[in-house]
Amino acid sequence: MPPQTSSPAAMPLLEGELKKLRTKANLSQAVSETDKLLELLIKAREEVASSTDAHSASLIMAKLQNPLDSRFESITDALRPVDRGQKAYGKVLDRSFPSRALPTEHDAMAEHSPLINRAIAMHLLREGQFNVARIFLQETQEKINSNSGGGNQDQDRDMTPADELVSESTPRTTDGSDELEEEEAEEGEEQEASYELDEEAIMAPLRSRNLQLKFEIMYEILRSLRSHDLIPAINWAADHSYELDARGSNLEFELNRLQFIYLFQQGGPDPEFAAQMTDEERRIEGRNSALQWARERFSNRGLQGRHAKDIQQLVTAVVFASNLPSSPYRHIFDASGIESAFSEAGTSFTRDFCSLLGLSAESPLYVAATAGAVALPQLLKYMTHVKEKGTEWTTEAELAFETPLPRSMIYHPIFVCPVSKEQTTDQNPPAMLPCGHVVAQESLQCLLKGTKAKCPYCPVEGHKHDAKIIEIL
Amino acid sequence: MMRQCPGKQFRCTSHVEMPEDIFAGAKLLQDDQPRPATASDVVALSAALSGNTHCNCCTQSASPLYERNMADHESAKLDHDNHLLLDQSLVRLPHELLRKNFRSAHVVVERDKEAIKRQLREATIKGLNGNTSRDDVLKSLDNIIARGKKLRTKLGACQTEESRLFQQTEARVKHLGQLQGLHTLDDVKYEGWSHARLDRLLVDYLLRQGYSDTACSLATERNIADLVDIETFVAMSRIQNSLRKGKSVAEALAWCADNKKELRKLNSNLEFSLRFQQYVELVRQQTPESQLLAIAHAKKYLYPYQQAYPKEVKQSCGLLVFTPNNPGNPQYAKLFSDDRWEMLADLFTRTYNELLSLPSIPLLHVALSSGLSALKTPACHSHTSGQGVNADGDVDMAGSTGSIGDSSGGAATFATESYTNGRMCPICSAELNELARNVPYAHHSKSHVDHDLMLLPNNRVYGLERLKNHAKKQGIEEGKVKDLRGRDVYDEKDLKKVYIT
Repeated sequence: MPPQTSSPAAMPLLEGELKKLRTKANLSQAVSETDKLLELLIKAREEVASSTDAHSASLIMAKLQNPLDSRFESITDALRPVDRGQKAYGKVLDRSFPSRALPTEHDAMAEHSPLINRAIAMHLLREGQFNVARIFLQETQEKINSNSGGGNQDQDRDMTPADELVSESTPRTTDGSDELEEEEAEEGEEQEASYELDEEAIMAPLRSRNLQLKFEIMYEILRSLRSHDLIPAINWAADHSYELDARGSNLEFELNRLQFIYLFQQGGPDPEFAAQMTDEERRIEGRNSALQWARERFSNRGLQGRHAKDIQQLVTAVVFASNLPSSPYRHIFDASGIESAFSEAGTSFTRDFCSLLGLSAESPLYVAATAGAVALPQLLKYMTHVKEKGTEWTTEAELAFETPLPRSMIYHPIFVCPVSKEQTTDQNPPAMLPCGHVVAQESLQCLLKGTKAKCPYCPVEGHKHDAKIIEIL
Repeated sequence: MMRQCPGKQFRCTSHVEMPEDIFAGAKLLQDDQPRPATASDVVALSAALSGNTHCNCCTQSASPLYERNMADHESAKLDHDNHLLLDQSLVRLPHELLRKNFRSAHVVVERDKEAIKRQLREATIKGLNGNTSRDDVLKSLDNIIARGKKLRTKLGACQTEESRLFQQTEARVKHLGQLQGLHTLDDVKYEGWSHARLDRLLVDYLLRQGYSDTACSLATERNIADLVDIETFVAMSRIQNSLRKGKSVAEALAWCADNKKELRKLNSNLEFSLRFQQYVELVRQQTPESQLLAIAHAKKYLYPYQQAYPKEVKQSCGLLVFTPNNPGNPQYAKLFSDDRWEMLADLFTRTYNELLSLPSIPLLHVALSSGLSALKTPACHSHTSGQGVNADGDVDMAGSTGSIGDSSGGAATFATESYTNGRMCPICSAELNELARNVPYAHHSKSHVDHDLMLLPNNRVYGLERLKNHAKKQGIEEGKVKDLRGRDVYDEKDLKKVYIT
């Protein structure tokens, strides 16, 4: 029994096998044998055509039988290695990349295509795939229309049971009985009509060009950024400086800082113009335009207050223009870093831009799909263990097994009570004892003896009222 | 990705208080592709920014982020042996199709061989018996040649399909093989690969849901045509629609005929069900002729399967007594119902997937169920602390009117100095929050919190370093910190250390 793996290590092997197939086990031989068969037939036809009477024609036909048989024999022979080769390839495939069943029995997503569709539309828009998004929104609308136009009979498979709309408007209860009732009500025309409204309601906001326009602006600014034109980004940041400040973002300053450095290094705002100058001219021009930029941008606004020290450094560094590499300010003007500084500015900008829209910078769909692939082996392992019981893993409140994700995919602080080993929740929040140790509230209840509780981790005993429900953020 | 102490990329100067150079971390982002930020970009960036006030390698303690990353090394490792579970059909399907292609080539050859040989034999015998003219011989030979040409055309088509499949397999094997050189999930190259995987999953989903135009344009835009199975699913959709919308079994029956042997191996009841539907349609017409035709049809296509489907065959007999308007009992009403077309379309889809060893549900569903669950925490649907979600649990969908760009909305709890270094939880995002309600939250056996947690007098707990960074950015005076999610400012000495065991 080979180990059950789905490893990319199998690929070079398969590549080699494929090469064998391509050269030795393809249909080309069979095709050329068929061509020969046709030649034989056509030659026979010429002979018949030039024969004088029916009898000799028939004789040609009679003589044709054996060569024809052997031609067909060759075609069949040519097929044989193809069959053999493919079978061999299949064996290698089975051995090196054995097929493993996926957990498809309980599909928690099956009834939520409107929500998935919305997530996809958002994903396409934020990735800048405006054309694909447009087609998608069109196609989803057509489908909604054809479903509602077709009447009751034309029930589409994707018409989800009515409980879908319940979960849209109100938080889904963990109690399964509600769903059952809703499913029974599914037949009702009213329910169906409101469901359609619902999918429409989900997708309609995306169809308005509003969101797309926002992302078009974002990509426009990013395009400029890539060609080292910071002005659109700086203008955007200035226009939104209040919101950015509220989020603790330094984007406006960082962009201005980069512009300062760029002007200084480049020798002014126009690279073509700068290219015609001598080194000395460029240095002077760069210094002047950078300083002018600093005067215009750093003089007012809150920038000066919060970044006074940084601004001082930038401006002071200009003094060392002629011997920067040996000055303490060399790292500010590290010429090799300018490219990556621009690309980083793009990243910061994207993040802040999305954040102002209430969106994360990374596509949630991307993160979820990637996390899905990472966690899938654990799910699969679990599924094989509980298969006999037929447990539906998706109906529990908490997964029964751990799904380790990289640190970059942990977004909330997670507190596991050291006593009960349970994660804290709204219902069972973390509680801090007077000594500073933290347990879950329910565990605290168990630790209580009268009104006092002894910390399980240190000798301190505290009063119930001194314990605090805390929020770890 | 090289997540290292950002300070180490530069020689430390004596300017300890100088902000980290904004170049730091950005070196990792050399690609000039216009793409939105991705996980590791943001981490890189945050790594560069979070050490803002002190150069990490100069301070006495190592960067906490650095420590965290070290500890985290294991889970960021790419598990090669199990990472291609979602991608099995990528190499399986072309092989299935290759086999299918060979079988049809084989069938064509066998069938035409027999036919041509017979034609030749008959023509010869006829000719030798003397009751034929030369032109007759010529004519029968022409027929034979026509048949041979048809064989050549069909074989040629098979050959074309074969090379297409070879090319596809090669591209796919290469694509999957690219993972081999990658060892961590934070590798920028892995992100590229994983993006391509998402695109594949999306195309698979779109095709299965019948959004073929979107699927085609996405495949073209992303240049992954060889990595997705447009033809396979478009063919499936066509037959699905002929059942569902066209209420016709013709195309589905033709497909059954093409795959007779394999269907028999699967023990499939598809063909029987389709024949049964034909029978129902004949009965439905309620004319004397159609009744006779129905009986003939049943004799030919249903009764022979009496042993396999005793209940259905019995029902088919009973059905003759009833009319669609007066079906007698619910059982027969069901047989006359239009819902059967839906059932047939689903049965066909299941059979089609099974025959080609394709997963029965969209792979995106598998990935999302597993991924949403792994990412979800109790906080994501919490009434108090979720990011991007209003206090009453309503999702503030960015697309809904008015909320776009309105930073004062529900999403305003977002702070750059959050636990995640300014990254928003995908489950809390408006895009996935509702969907994630349908899966359990992840199980954790150990805490993941900042190492320097401090309790604010308002009972909120944050890492001290984050509090300090935030205060600095907000221009709060020295010695004071500000609640990351509120307006309250506190004296640093009023904070209390929190011990997490």
